Amino acid sequence: MSKTEISRRAFLRSSGQAVKGSCIALTLPMILTACNRAEEARLRGEDFSSLTEEEAFEFDAISARIIPSDDSPGAREAGVIYFIDNVLANESEEVREVLRSGLRDLQSSAVSTFDVPYFYQLEEAQQDQLLLEIEESEFFGTVRFLVVAGMFSLPEYGGNKDEAGWNLIGFDDRHAWVPPFGFYDADHAAKGG
Amino acid sequence: MAESQNSPTYPTREPVDFVVVGSGAAGGVMAKELSTAGFSVVVLEQGPHLQAADFKHDEWDYDYNGGLMWGIKQGHPQTFRKNENEEAVEAEAVLGYAHNVGGSSVHFSGNFWRFRPIDFMEASVRGTVPGTNFADWPISYEDLEPYYTKVDWEIGVSGLQGPWDPPRSRAYPCPPMPIKGPDVLLERAGKQLGLNPYPAPVAILSQPHNGRPGCIHCGFCNGFGCEVNAKSSSMATMIPLALASGNCELRTGCTVSRVNTGEDGRVTEVVYWDAEGTEQAQRANAVVLCANGSETPRILFLSESEQHPDGLANSSGFVGQNLMFNGYTSIVGLFPEPVNAYKSVPATRVIHDYYELDPNLGFYGGGGIDGRHYSRGTPLNSALMSGMFGGPTWGAEYKKNLQQEFTHTAAFDGHTTSLPLASNNVTLDPNVQDKYGRPALRCTYMDHPDDIQTMSYFYDRTVELMEAAGAIRYAGEYPENGQEGNVHLLGTCRMGDDPSSSVIDKYHRTHDVPNLFISDGSSLITSGRGQPTMTIMAMAFRAADNIIQAARRGEI
Repeated sequence: MSKTEISRRAFLRSSGQAVKGSCIALTLPMILTACNRAEEARLRGEDFSSLTEEEAFEFDAISARIIPSDDSPGAREAGVIYFIDNVLANESEEVREVLRSGLRDLQSSAVSTFDVPYFYQLEEAQQDQLLLEIEESEFFGTVRFLVVAGMFSLPEYGGNKDEAGWNLIGFDDRHAWVPPFGFYDADHAAKGG
Repeated sequence: MAESQNSPTYPTREPVDFVVVGSGAAGGVMAKELSTAGFSVVVLEQGPHLQAADFKHDEWDYDYNGGLMWGIKQGHPQTFRKNENEEAVEAEAVLGYAHNVGGSSVHFSGNFWRFRPIDFMEASVRGTVPGTNFADWPISYEDLEPYYTKVDWEIGVSGLQGPWDPPRSRAYPCPPMPIKGPDVLLERAGKQLGLNPYPAPVAILSQPHNGRPGCIHCGFCNGFGCEVNAKSSSMATMIPLALASGNCELRTGCTVSRVNTGEDGRVTEVVYWDAEGTEQAQRANAVVLCANGSETPRILFLSESEQHPDGLANSSGFVGQNLMFNGYTSIVGLFPEPVNAYKSVPATRVIHDYYELDPNLGFYGGGGIDGRHYSRGTPLNSALMSGMFGGPTWGAEYKKNLQQEFTHTAAFDGHTTSLPLASNNVTLDPNVQDKYGRPALRCTYMDHPDDIQTMSYFYDRTVELMEAAGAIRYAGEYPENGQEGNVHLLGTCRMGDDPSSSVIDKYHRTHDVPNLFISDGSSLITSGRGQPTMTIMAMAFRAADNIIQAARRGEI
């Protein structure tokens, strides 16, 4: 095994984490209905359909640590919190309880560790410290899944505003491409096999 | 409800010539062949008739909400266990297939390798494998070749005859797809290792054919429906011809509950719930089950009667047995320059030098390797998977890695054999039911040790290829502890000459019921090397040909 090969275990851990760490499973029509409702609510000046204001602040703060804002937009600018709000509007009570109780635990840690009542009021480094401690939890796995899903799903689901997620990774959602598609096939066309 | 202006509406209480259950890779071919030959046909399909304009680049729907596949939330639970001593537990898409007109030929990746002559006679050439049902086919490559060619031209396949390909009677109708970055890396690495990479045959049009346009390289093939009908699904190719024949009624949203037989033991009608959930029964002179390797056995089990106590057409006890998934391996490498594997079709080169592994290795197996996008090449999947090179799964470093990984990765995938085992099967779950109250599909599966050794062998070959390709880093996997689901559902109503060890004869007629036929993935005797749909379609064309001849002779 060469040094460039990463262990299969690391690979499996990351691939398993993609979904298995999360307790989310939904049907699309329900979410689209939620999206439409949320859009209407926003137009009426009501911000969130399923999250309380406190929850929205907290999950927004967590999302901003999962995909931070730096020289490019992060989860916050991409409006991931609206995606989460839409998805949770129709999620089972069981899932919502995982998130609620996980959030309560996180806030307890904020109090006991830093004597601050809310996660979003912590310094970024303090937030990272608390999140590192719960990295393997179902709560974090679910929030991480929702944040990444909100960042990279179609904007009509509420996140990925102005295609911020797609721009970040270099995905251009065109309906047609012509070759060459990248460096290596261009090189192949120029030099042959 | 009739689907097209040309389409007739047949009364349920008068027998049609054929009811075809399922409209997928095999069912679409069957419906088109029978109806254009002048027979009256009713097609029953569980899902909706989605067409090109309905499909979107929507990962969230298709990959995470069961948009095409359906699952527990849609009322279609399945269960899985590794062996019969375990209690099966509910799981999503263990036996994976799309619920829509065209079935999984709509959302598949379109890799269209033919089987080779050896695939039909490997048990006698290489020798049987003790403890398995590994056997020769009752038909040969030569028997199937005219129908492979029919698939090439009627369905539409792009490719170029390669050094390892079996003889063909006619060239491909469309030239190969333009090579992609991952396949340039695979091809150059393969040549360096003395291998023979060549253009991958795909059921995607590289240029206009049969009134359909060529591929526009949007990149959303694997898991998605084609938005321009360049992918050669049975929905895009066969169903329109069936509906235009004036002899075919396509009924969507219809789920079959059982096939009824009369006192003479012959099939009389197919009972189903229509789109409104009302129970209906369509009388038929003959029935062709094309419901796939999991649903076809379920229908047979549910059709038990006094005459057929273990399920219809199951005097052999082979219904549901010998389930074969095909093995797989996957390795992803990070490269210095942009690969942009997210554009265009899944695979454009294949290495078939390892089609038959040396028996001296001590295990049975073989397969092929192709170059791919990583994690379907889609943004959300790729972002969720980031961290496979050992990096973090959230935070600033994660965000930084994402920016390189999406565009700079290429994957090499292995596709391998599965041995047929009685212990790998589809049965009815005794505890879990679907929304109609039917027992859920229960899958029992554990790869044979030879299958796992084959995957290990192929994984090692792809490591060599990644090294030769100059990957900066790479990481990969294969299911070393056994697969827990797949989308290839093969072997569960196998073909054979001996009624005591097979379900259908070599003309796809069930041994037990003269007017009941089966054609789908369940008909296969061995697994091939991991790309079965081309063979499922060719077998459907051949089955239809034989059924039509038998009907015309009055022998049904």
